[in-house]
Amino acid sequence: MKIPLRLAKREDLRIIGVEPVAEAELCSRTLELMGEFRAFARSFSVMLETCTGCGACAKACHSYLGTDDFFNIPAARAGLLRRIFSRYFTWSGRVLGRFSGAAEFGPGTLDSWVDYFYQCNACRRCAKFCPFGIDTGEIVLAGRTILTRLGRAPAFMVNIARNELTTGNNTGILKPAIIDSCSFLEEELLEETGLEIRIPVDKPNTEILYLPSSSELFVNSDTLMGAAKLFHYLGVDWTLSSTLLEAANYGLLFDLDVMKKHNNRMRIAATAVGAEKVVMGECGHGWRAAKMYSEGANGPFPFQLTHILELVTERLPDLNLTKLPIRATLHDPCNYGRGAGLVEEPRKIMHACVEDFTEMTPNRDRNFCCGGGGGLLMDEMTEIRMELGKEKSEQIRRLLPLDYIALPCASCKAQFPLLLKHYGMGEVRTGGVLDLVGRSLVLNRQQDERTSPQDCLGG
Amino acid sequence: MGIILGMALPYVAFSVFVVGTLLRIVGWMRIPVPFHLTLFPVPEDKAGSVRELVLEFVLCRSIYREDRLLWLWVWLFHVSLLMIVCGHVLGIYFLRQQFTLVGLSSETSQTLSVLLGGVAGAMMTLSLGALLCRRLFRREVRGLSEPDHYFELILLLAISVTGIAMYLPGLHAELPEVRAYMAGLLLLDPVPLPRSSPFFVHFLLVNLLMLYFPFSRLLHSAGFFVNRAMLAEAPPVYPTPDRSRPRSDFSSRKIHPDIPCPMNVADKEAGSK
Ligand code: SF4
Ligand code: SF4
Repeated sequence: MKIPLRLAKREDLRIIGVEPVAEAELCSRTLELMGEFRAFARSFSVMLETCTGCGACAKACHSYLGTDDFFNIPAARAGLLRRIFSRYFTWSGRVLGRFSGAAEFGPGTLDSWVDYFYQCNACRRCAKFCPFGIDTGEIVLAGRTILTRLGRAPAFMVNIARNELTTGNNTGILKPAIIDSCSFLEEELLEETGLEIRIPVDKPNTEILYLPSSSELFVNSDTLMGAAKLFHYLGVDWTLSSTLLEAANYGLLFDLDVMKKHNNRMRIAATAVGAEKVVMGECGHGWRAAKMYSEGANGPFPFQLTHILELVTERLPDLNLTKLPIRATLHDPCNYGRGAGLVEEPRKIMHACVEDFTEMTPNRDRNFCCGGGGGLLMDEMTEIRMELGKEKSEQIRRLLPLDYIALPCASCKAQFPLLLKHYGMGEVRTGGVLDLVGRSLVLNRQQDERTSPQDCLGG
Repeated sequence: MGIILGMALPYVAFSVFVVGTLLRIVGWMRIPVPFHLTLFPVPEDKAGSVRELVLEFVLCRSIYREDRLLWLWVWLFHVSLLMIVCGHVLGIYFLRQQFTLVGLSSETSQTLSVLLGGVAGAMMTLSLGALLCRRLFRREVRGLSEPDHYFELILLLAISVTGIAMYLPGLHAELPEVRAYMAGLLLLDPVPLPRSSPFFVHFLLVNLLMLYFPFSRLLHSAGFFVNRAMLAEAPPVYPTPDRSRPRSDFSSRKIHPDIPCPMNVADKEAGSK
């Protein structure tokens, strides 16, 4: 199936350091890049060469289940790359050709990669069910990096990468606007709690550098306010940084060089504010990129690194939390459950914050992706994202009635409201786990006059 | 002809099998793993990881979770394969007297050996047949199948069928003759092939399998370990301990000096930290 993905223009690609390849050189350059990637990462050849085509991964992939398109079967998706790889890089493919599933590079090759590598959320669920642990998400990310180097990358991602590289956040806001938004949120906090709760920016000599998703300044601000309340309550010395106001790292999703460059900013920003500890906010792939890729991308990382939900869990005994009278569930972001092992922490917090916590099935490391992962949040992909989220919507439907779905990931937060509306469950509220912490934290005065779920979820 | 097939081919096939497989594995292992690809949850310690790996290898738990029927056939096939390989070594070396070692009588050992071999052979043929049917009739799997997928299954089927054929009266291969022949091969003093047509075909096919193995998807047996070892790696700890070695040259690689990053100056400072 062709997807309506808008690709970046040449000028824009140059801004992130990509020189698009001329039509005539596409084939040779593709093969060159594949060769480079093969020598770069073991996973590439091992995963491509080990697949037996057993099909066990088919039913594991929400993308295939939702679209019913053969090439969205993980092994078939990877197969689009595998057949070219076989033809030019394996003994059998070179000698036996078609017989061993090899195919020549052709005019449609790259188009098929674009179409199917961008219908994958890189959720890694397939790797859980493949007998060899073949992670098609990993192959897809490799394929996307190769496509980007050839000059084919989504306009949406290139734009975000440009913002990350120039301003240090996805939205592209600069320091004055950051300070503005933070004081606005401080006012909100004052109004709500009657307390002077600060959201410091670039405060020197601070212990903790906090990296939220930049979207929290505008749309998911309850998450950031939850963090601010928490730090206030615990008396933590923390700050945001105008150099890096972002947990996300889109480079991971389409260009490893951008990933490396943006990842390095964590050191720069932490050094700039003199922090000992970097705490990451609610962002799925961002946490995976930070935790799992920092060392590989830029060498030894000389700071402590932890996730805000780990920090909350550690301090749970110190927190005075009232349980909110709501029925809530937790969606495990793929990059937490499978990608970074952040699984029990959000649960412990949920149990402490809500009266009726219920699990969806499957959950934890077997959870289905919501369809918003892997950087597929561009508008033009909305319709396809709804198909990708079909499995998730059915999981949610089985839990109705439900007041709240906790989504500790900025991509999930963008996808869920659309998904729920699309499948007729628009009445269910969504937001972060920190949002709940912020609401159930008893700061100074009793906040317990609230009795209905609407009250405690803020209208 | 007989000399080439009976005396030269086995050596060639076996060398290709061993050297080719090793080369493929070494080829993989020489490539760095630039990032932690840990697929969570992972056990806390090395012993736990090894236990997980062994359990997965022995029981194929991932398939069991998703597709019980596939698991059944896959598992049956691999177990029968193991039985048959062991059975060949023991049965031929001891001329079916291997069970006398555990105190059974000569006749019982003979019968038991024949019986076990027969059962394993039947299991293998049956499971291969089922896997072939699955490839042919399941929409998804059929789409994923290339000609060589069928070729591999049919080759294995042919080997197991010719193996079973030797149970039939008249097609019987004389075990002492086979033993003498194998001994000749192993002692680098080859003697002519035994005169039994199923044995001849069976033996040729096995040689073909060995020749083909390193280039085929059957190498998944090695890929299993290489791949799973990456997924089972312990996650990194921060701050990074001093003793850690660079994972690859990516961490020190200079990239795109022209990426417009106003932070470039600060970049250098942090780099020298
Ligand atoms: S489960 Fe693994 S081996 Fe089987 S088809 Fe999928 S990727 Fe290939
Ligand atoms: S990573 Fe997720 S979306 Fe991509 S192929 Fe695997 S299961 Fe499907």
